Amino acid sequence: MASLILRRPWERGLAYLILSLTGFVMIFPFIYMALSSLKPSTEVVQVPPTLWPSEVRWSNYLEVLSIVPLGTQLINTVIVTVLVVLGWVITSVLAGYAFARLDFPGREFLFGAYLATLMVPFAVLIVPMYRLMLVFGWVDRLEALIVPWLFTAYGTFLLRQFFMSVPKDLEDAALIDGASHWGILFRIFLPLARPAIATLATFAFLYAWNSFLWPLIIISSPSNKVVTQGLVDLQALYAARVDLIMAGSTLAVLPTLIVFLFAQRYFIEGIATSGLAGR
Amino acid sequence: MAKQAPAALPVTPPRRLSGRRARQWIDAFGMLLPTILGVLIFFLVPLGISFYLSFTDARLFGDPNLVGLNNYQRALSDPTFYRAMWNTAAFSMVTLIVSTVPALLLAVILNERIAGRTFFRAVFFIPVVASVVGVTLLWRYLLNVDFGFVNYAIRLLGFEPIPWLTRPEWGLASVILVFSWKTIGYNMVIFLAGLQGVPPQLYEAASLDGASRWQQFLYITVPMLSPTTFFVLVTTLINCLQVFDVPVALGLTRSNTVGPADSMLTIVPLLWREAFIGGRMGYASALAWLLFVIILLLTLIQFRLSRRWVHYE
Repeated sequence: MASLILRRPWERGLAYLILSLTGFVMIFPFIYMALSSLKPSTEVVQVPPTLWPSEVRWSNYLEVLSIVPLGTQLINTVIVTVLVVLGWVITSVLAGYAFARLDFPGREFLFGAYLATLMVPFAVLIVPMYRLMLVFGWVDRLEALIVPWLFTAYGTFLLRQFFMSVPKDLEDAALIDGASHWGILFRIFLPLARPAIATLATFAFLYAWNSFLWPLIIISSPSNKVVTQGLVDLQALYAARVDLIMAGSTLAVLPTLIVFLFAQRYFIEGIATSGLAGR
Repeated sequence: MAKQAPAALPVTPPRRLSGRRARQWIDAFGMLLPTILGVLIFFLVPLGISFYLSFTDARLFGDPNLVGLNNYQRALSDPTFYRAMWNTAAFSMVTLIVSTVPALLLAVILNERIAGRTFFRAVFFIPVVASVVGVTLLWRYLLNVDFGFVNYAIRLLGFEPIPWLTRPEWGLASVILVFSWKTIGYNMVIFLAGLQGVPPQLYEAASLDGASRWQQFLYITVPMLSPTTFFVLVTTLINCLQVFDVPVALGLTRSNTVGPADSMLTIVPLLWREAFIGGRMGYASALAWLLFVIILLLTLIQFRLSRRWVHYE
């Protein structure tokens, strides 16, 4: 597409100024975080503030891992995240395929009703979910962070839209050859759906890795907590040790940044797709 | 005509056809089973329990007793509830502007053919993916009144430092700042997708007719983008009304206030505090249903108003 608005040189200059300033505001906090995590503790609270560490202290990372069980909490977060991502993908592929490609009574109604669940704020569910976890004996256990979160209306919607766009000839040919719907799903549709699945997986990753409210409610022992809780505890216990808190934050934020670096396309496409749902 | 063609083909025996249909139902049921079980156990049942609890005096443990509308009446006469409502409303109204207008501006710029657009798009998106709690803790120090970089910059510009996190009158502004910083990139990507859906021929035709660039923006871009704008406004508002992570990670104190003098207290943090620190689960459930009704009403109003300004192709 041609440039519609920015034609004159000064306009392009202004555009770059806006982009650079905004980019700086978006990136600077992360630079501050990474550099502060390497500073001696007195240097972080210096007035006026400095950016570069006078000496690099990697030992801050060892110290933060030794004063709070952030290592265990990172492992917990990884376990929860991996299983939730798998759950989202499996349940969404199956349900998305059924809603898109199979004919059964009540299909449209069920799909509409499932989408309508997105309207209910999570806040409505937290109290009864807590009581349900009491009944299941899952209070303060990782199961509570995994099992209730293995399915998603958003993902089902995403994959249904994708599967609906696949031409019908492909499955007709397979059906004539006597293939079952399960076989068609796994042999024909699944390989085609890789980009949609990648998008869904990146979303599931973000959702699970960053979740905070539910773990805060249901997990209380330090060794079962996830990393977001660990960070808040760290902040409450060692508020004066900004260097350690920044080291902890870096450990929590870095994995999402790395995943983003590799899966950038899928993140952005996923959001663009959900945005187009509004059309 | 074409529809009659299959009749000429050899007809499949009806028995086999119904067998295939039954197979399809069974397959569909199998594929939907995990989702149906999940929705039933972890959505519908809790939804019903929540509604019931909102009419009871349920505590953290023990059996609840029905108390009629007491919880709802109590909410409507509770100053803390009004405080949280007001904070949520003020936060949402300001954020609705601060996190969308810059996003639109950035999207319009990035929609141009300029060098480095994928780079900038990625940079603006980084705060979106980073852990809310992680980055919010980080802002706790950036906003520090003494050694924070934000106040350092404010001093350099010749102003007095702002007590972002230590004075009640600045609490909400801090939440808006951090939340918007984190949301702009998300809204920008949605706007960008919407802008890319505007057919370029429209602009070509308009410029042939002598429309200025500003007129093109106003009479082509704005109306063509209105469904996207509507989507962004609805989702941002719904997310704002349910905000939890930012105010709690930014402002939770040892005495369980959210921000100095509860200045950052919004509805969901209040609900959490009532239920899991105060142990008043019945009351918290009533708060949740009030929030649900408010969200439904506001969404409905937005849909109504949208008829006047949203243009679908």
